[in-house]
Amino acid sequence: MERRNFLNVTLGALALAAVPASVNAEDYRKTRPAVWSAHTVDDAIKAMYGSTDLVMEGVSLTAPKVASNGGAIPVDFSCDKDIKSIAVFQDANPEAAVCAITTNKYSINKYSIKIKMGKSGAITVVAEGTDGKLYAAKQSLDVALGGCEG
Amino acid sequence: MKVKAKLKNGVIKVKAMAKHEMSTFNMMEKKTGDRENANFIFHLTGTVNGETVFDMSTSQFLSKNPIFKFQFKADGFKKGDKLLMSWTDRKGKTGKGKGKIK
Repeated sequence: MERRNFLNVTLGALALAAVPASVNAEDYRKTRPAVWSAHTVDDAIKAMYGSTDLVMEGVSLTAPKVASNGGAIPVDFSCDKDIKSIAVFQDANPEAAVCAITTNKYSINKYSIKIKMGKSGAITVVAEGTDGKLYAAKQSLDVALGGCEG
Repeated sequence: MKVKAKLKNGVIKVKAMAKHEMSTFNMMEKKTGDRENANFIFHLTGTVNGETVFDMSTSQFLSKNPIFKFQFKADGFKKGDKLLMSWTDRKGKTGKGKGKIK
């Protein structure tokens, strides 16, 4: 009996200790696994946010009109709304999702990343507002040399 | 992982680079005949003094040796504090890096 109590106490303490690290960070790899295997942008957005009703405002997205190297396309995106998360999708590769960021109280939502695209297509950035709306921006671009075949 | 952080006007701007192959399923199928050899960064975090300032889940479509630029408010952080960044990849390997806020 005492041993059982000891276990319970230890497990409880461990659970408590583990909470602060994950309190404002959500690992979408674990919580929304369907997002990462979705093949179309619509499916991925649906798996991520449960809806595809996008409001095309509030998000700004900058990518080159023509990318000479599909292996490293610079993508800048920002959002001036109060948001909980922001995610990037594209429709040129076998799967749609590129990345998803969970915001925190320190976030200034301005990011730059480099992505790969196998052929010409469109990039969609979706931000989940604290008001429940999905703000988005979309841009199509031409890719001269595909970047997914390595 | 290389991390550079600069504090200016209450905003900390960060530039970070992870050294990683970021191989896709198609790439590895072509090269090695097995899709399961694909390996890429799954999740990336940044913390200062134990506070999470950056949290990103990623897929195989980031570039090789991906670069991340982001910004955060310097509330309570000062020059000399360290920004710790770490990633976990598909095979469970982790990488770390830190940069002093300048």
